[in-house]
Amino acid sequence: MSDASTVTIEIDGKTLEVKAGVMLIDIADDANIDIPRFCYHRHLTIAANCRMCLVDVENAPKPLPACATPVMDGMKVHTKSARAIAAQKATMEFLLINHPLDCPICDQGGECELQDVAMAYGGDVSRYTEGKRVVKDKDIGPLISTDLTRCIHCTRCIRFGEEIAGLRELGATGRGENMQIGTYIEHAVSSELSGNVIDLCPVGALTAKPSRYSARAWELNQYPSIAAHDCIGSHLSVHTFRSDTNRIVPIENSEINECWLSDRDRFSYKGLTSRDRLLKPMIKMDGQWRETDWQTALEKTFAAMQDTIRNYGADQIGVLASPNSTLEELYLLKKLTSNIDCFNFDHRLRQLDFSHQDQAPMIPTLGSSITDLESLDSVLLIGSNISKEQPMLGIRLRKAQKKGAKICQINHRVYDLRMPCEVGIAAHYRNLVLELAAVAKALNIDSSLLPHAANTLFVQAQILEKHSQIAEILKNGEKSHVILGNQAISSPYYSLVEIFARAIATSCNCLFGYLTDGANATGAWLTGAIPHRDYNGASQKTAGLNAQSMLEQPRNLYLLHNIEIDYDCADPVTALSAVASSDFVVCMTPYVSSDMQNYADILLPISPYLETSGTFINIEGRVQTFAGASKLKNSEARPAWKIIRVLGNYFDIDGFEFNSSKEILEEIERTIGEFKGDNTATITEATALADKEDVIYRCSEVNMYHSDSIVRRSEPLQNTPEAKEDRIHINADLAKKLNLERATQVLVKHGNKTIAMHLAIDDTVANDCAWTSFATATSKKLGPMYGVIELEAD
Amino acid sequence: MASIAHWIKSFTLWELLKGMRLTGRYLFSRKITVQYPEEKTPMSPRFRGLHALRRYKNGEERCIACKLCEAVCPALAITIDSEQREDGTRRTTRYDIDLFKCIFCGFCEEACPVDSIVETRHFEYHFENQGDQIMTKSDLLKIGDRFEDQIAADRKADAPYR
Amino acid sequence: MPELRNLTLNFGPQHPAAHGVLRLILEMEGEVIKRADPHIGLLHRATEKLAESKPYNQSIGYMDRLDYVSMMCNEHGYVLAIEKLLSVEVPERGQYIRVMFDEITRILNHLLWIAAHGLDVGAMTIFLYAFREREDLMDCYEAVSGARLHATYYRPGGVARDLPDTMPQYEAGKFRSDKDANRLNENRQGSLLDFLEDFTQKFPKYVDEYETLLTDNRIWKQRLVDVGIVSPERALQMGFTGPMLRGSGIEWDLRKKQTYEVYDKVEFDIPIGTNGDSYDRYLVRMAEMRESNKIIIQCIDWLRKNPGPVHTEDHKLFPPSRESMKGDMESLIHHFKLFTEGFCLPEGEAYAAIEHPKGEFGCYIISDGANKPYRLKIRAPGFAHLAGMNEMSKGHMLSDIVTIIGSQDIVFGEIDR
Repeated sequence: MSDASTVTIEIDGKTLEVKAGVMLIDIADDANIDIPRFCYHRHLTIAANCRMCLVDVENAPKPLPACATPVMDGMKVHTKSARAIAAQKATMEFLLINHPLDCPICDQGGECELQDVAMAYGGDVSRYTEGKRVVKDKDIGPLISTDLTRCIHCTRCIRFGEEIAGLRELGATGRGENMQIGTYIEHAVSSELSGNVIDLCPVGALTAKPSRYSARAWELNQYPSIAAHDCIGSHLSVHTFRSDTNRIVPIENSEINECWLSDRDRFSYKGLTSRDRLLKPMIKMDGQWRETDWQTALEKTFAAMQDTIRNYGADQIGVLASPNSTLEELYLLKKLTSNIDCFNFDHRLRQLDFSHQDQAPMIPTLGSSITDLESLDSVLLIGSNISKEQPMLGIRLRKAQKKGAKICQINHRVYDLRMPCEVGIAAHYRNLVLELAAVAKALNIDSSLLPHAANTLFVQAQILEKHSQIAEILKNGEKSHVILGNQAISSPYYSLVEIFARAIATSCNCLFGYLTDGANATGAWLTGAIPHRDYNGASQKTAGLNAQSMLEQPRNLYLLHNIEIDYDCADPVTALSAVASSDFVVCMTPYVSSDMQNYADILLPISPYLETSGTFINIEGRVQTFAGASKLKNSEARPAWKIIRVLGNYFDIDGFEFNSSKEILEEIERTIGEFKGDNTATITEATALADKEDVIYRCSEVNMYHSDSIVRRSEPLQNTPEAKEDRIHINADLAKKLNLERATQVLVKHGNKTIAMHLAIDDTVANDCAWTSFATATSKKLGPMYGVIELEAD
Repeated sequence: MASIAHWIKSFTLWELLKGMRLTGRYLFSRKITVQYPEEKTPMSPRFRGLHALRRYKNGEERCIACKLCEAVCPALAITIDSEQREDGTRRTTRYDIDLFKCIFCGFCEEACPVDSIVETRHFEYHFENQGDQIMTKSDLLKIGDRFEDQIAADRKADAPYR
Repeated sequence: MPELRNLTLNFGPQHPAAHGVLRLILEMEGEVIKRADPHIGLLHRATEKLAESKPYNQSIGYMDRLDYVSMMCNEHGYVLAIEKLLSVEVPERGQYIRVMFDEITRILNHLLWIAAHGLDVGAMTIFLYAFREREDLMDCYEAVSGARLHATYYRPGGVARDLPDTMPQYEAGKFRSDKDANRLNENRQGSLLDFLEDFTQKFPKYVDEYETLLTDNRIWKQRLVDVGIVSPERALQMGFTGPMLRGSGIEWDLRKKQTYEVYDKVEFDIPIGTNGDSYDRYLVRMAEMRESNKIIIQCIDWLRKNPGPVHTEDHKLFPPSRESMKGDMESLIHHFKLFTEGFCLPEGEAYAAIEHPKGEFGCYIISDGANKPYRLKIRAPGFAHLAGMNEMSKGHMLSDIVTIIGSQDIVFGEIDR
């Protein structure tokens, strides 16, 4: 029995019971009936402008486009009748009229939808003899190359910009034959998702610039992998051409990244072939770097560690690992360090406030699944530029916003989240705490539950309209979410921020979640890559020093895993001086820089992401294992887990006989077993808020194209305007106050460092706040991410 | 009667003499031997010999690195690396044919959309060292330059059939 | 009494009479063969497996290299199987060209066979004469395809290119006077068909010459008559085909029994033997050359009168002409796709066989709908013939093994594949 919502239709003689109102093309796709299409895309709205999907519907006067024809009861559809075939052939002929004879030089050749459809549905000879249209190519940045003569006007790229990326960068001018795709005024596209138009373009009009003309689709091998630059863990396919990574494309996965991929994940692979790659183990002898073999390098490393333990105690060893390290690497490092009684092991490199670490939940998670973000009613983002830091989540929130969700943000700057924001509060890191307190007050939370430090702020807080607005939105939303972003976690008042954020979430029954730095912070917490806890949140006999303290109180020996200390730590200046003053520094690193050559004593080349196997746990708590795909020629780099394994053998520790990363993962599964992704925690410890002063507070956001060592070396990403953003942003009020309205360059004094920076007057920035992008070549000279600075005209 | 004739023929080695007469006749007739290498036999314009890469009249190489020849090569004898040249055009940085793998089927020439890779009439070549059998891009272009007139004439002669 | 043991003799694989790489383990009792055990596989190149990894067209060249003395016939069996699955129609001119070249190939094969067989048995002269005629036929091969042996000329849907209107000519030079060149070029003034016609007129006389040298020759007869007798029943049971079967007196020829292309439109006879010995098979093959010559004459006649397309005009299967490829979009796309991906065959299986110079050559293709075969099985006639070696040679003298190998017309390219 079919009720009102289902109808019975017939396609090519196949009877189907389907939901009413669904478009014909979706039904046909589900039933494995081929209908050719160009403009239709499952994740985009319907344009019905290519006319390729015309099908023959009985009793309809003309063939109808399957993508824009909703099913109706009793509909009889023929996709292969004479009328349908004639319509498809005619459409194809028209599409090819203006298409240039470019196949031999077109990168799309071999994987081109136009070619495939022309072969399957088009005629085999052309009747057209007139001249063809020519369109001038436009330069739209270092990631996408354009050959707009090839465009067939499907408008997928335009719709993607409007609907998914939330940024109308590409558009069409002119009509009919004169229609052209472009950026109106020629400029580089700035969307963090722009690379997706390469996949969307059914022809070769938009192709990838970094891999231009380098390989044909049929020459590539495909390896599935997991993205390593944010905590989402997008599924991607690595396409290699004779062992080199040639390009990266998304793998469709409805629960994580759908069919999209951020530009950072797509183009970072170019960093793998950087000239900075460390190819052989190296040792510093009498101030000179010498290449050596693995045996010597590892023996020296072991001897140095042994000496430090014997002479100064294991406490004098500091181990810092990147949050991009795999679960296996971190697990082995923890196993190694705890066996030699060294607990100074941390991955939280960009964190400054550790006062409440003992009360933190076992692992930080998003607090909901990624797909559930789409069905939220209201969201409060604290210290998060989600569209740039986690572009995939930006897409989900944008979808929720389209369905009516209200988005609020409390940030150092009112970020352009590529979607309308209901309330946006800009506040520097000190005031951010107060703004949160005000929101909490507007919600009438029970202040007795707050610790003392927070309670004082709560009492002082003044509720303005924006605070009540946020409170209302969160309270009224049936499904609301409070999200602590990367910048909240890096804040010097992280503990206070979290206390208020949690209080807000509890009082309006919201979900609460974190967005962590790197690809595997969740896994790092789980494997105990933290100084105060063992695997799985278990207690351990003593607590070691956290990342910041380890650098503030220099250790004798540092073991640095996959980090560049001058970029990856929250306080680059302190970090650099700490390693410089230590006796011995071992760097396990895929890259070598001149700074590293200064402070390190041994360089051990490790295989970076895409060349090694391992596991990441994403922010949902999803465990995702991947294998290596490419291999660098002439490189002796080894997977880091193998290096740590051998070190374990040197120390004669039991249970270091692993032969594959899979064996390590099996052991992790045995030791850790099931884990809970539960964010609940009661925070009482907090850093006290400093007194209000009339100073300028520097706030930083990690530049999305400088987030880790691979990305920093990807040439195409570095050529984007986004990566070059290295100015100090202040708002007009502050500029006026400092008499800097006309200045283009300023002297920035942070601690005892003074450097010249370009100035940008930007009213999205909070009062008394100077916003900079972090992990860039300039920022590493400046001091910690957050702090009080002085500005004067240059 | 027949058996007597057979006996006589058999006794006189008749059929052997008949054969000898035939070979004897050829012994004194004009020889058909071609004195190679001084003399050559005729060769069809379709002949599929050593490969060459051609240039346009202005000296620009024809090859645009479309890799159709590489894709169609049944013996996987062709290896191409390509990149964007400074002037923005698509060009090869490497074009190798391994003549030990090549089966001289002519598909590369059929596939080439710009008449760049061709099989010439040239078949008298040898290699002296291991590795010489791999014809590089410059080798192939050199052959193309050397035989261009012949190559062009042959393509022209065969154009109506292709 | 000392114990008597049979001698085991290793024949080949480098024996000049082993026709390539045949290795026989012979069990001898004195000079009499008790058992012959052929060992194969020394020329195995995994053609069938190789085909599974390539688009259909790319394997045509590998078919040439199966039975490398009847190249185009191998191609024919392969493309016929593809065409059967695709149910594509080959234009009549294409079919006539294929039939003509099949028969040229048959003559080429038989010429090489008689040359080598003669040489093995002790008749040197015939070798040189046969190669003289092969030279002309290989010129025809070269004229149409560009290669004298491995033509890669047949394509699914027809043949690669039409017959040329001119023949290449001898050039005068330092070592050849104009007069000599003109004399040599006499039969090369016209088209390929004219050249071939000239050949067909001369060829029966040449066959007469071969027969003068061999047919009545007492040595030849002593070596061939009553050697390797196969009864009609055994021939059928052992799966013999072609001259091996017809020599035993069974009138079986696929060209007539399961007619393909335009064999039903040409006239020819099927010669058969009576005794099933090596001499009869010799006579059958000699007669077949004369019949082939007749077929070629009929084809030349038809082809002269009927110009037209030589391959299908369906460019979803056969690439468009170069001129249109360079001028229109549809053609360029089809050219590009056909040369990279090739065409797909519908799901299913097909077996197509032709009357190959050596017997029934068949290709069995299983397609899963992709652009390359799921499985390709090649039925090579020589394989069954070689399997009859033991039975044919038992009780004969050691020297007769050479006659039998020659009579079987063994080529290892197709047996080992």
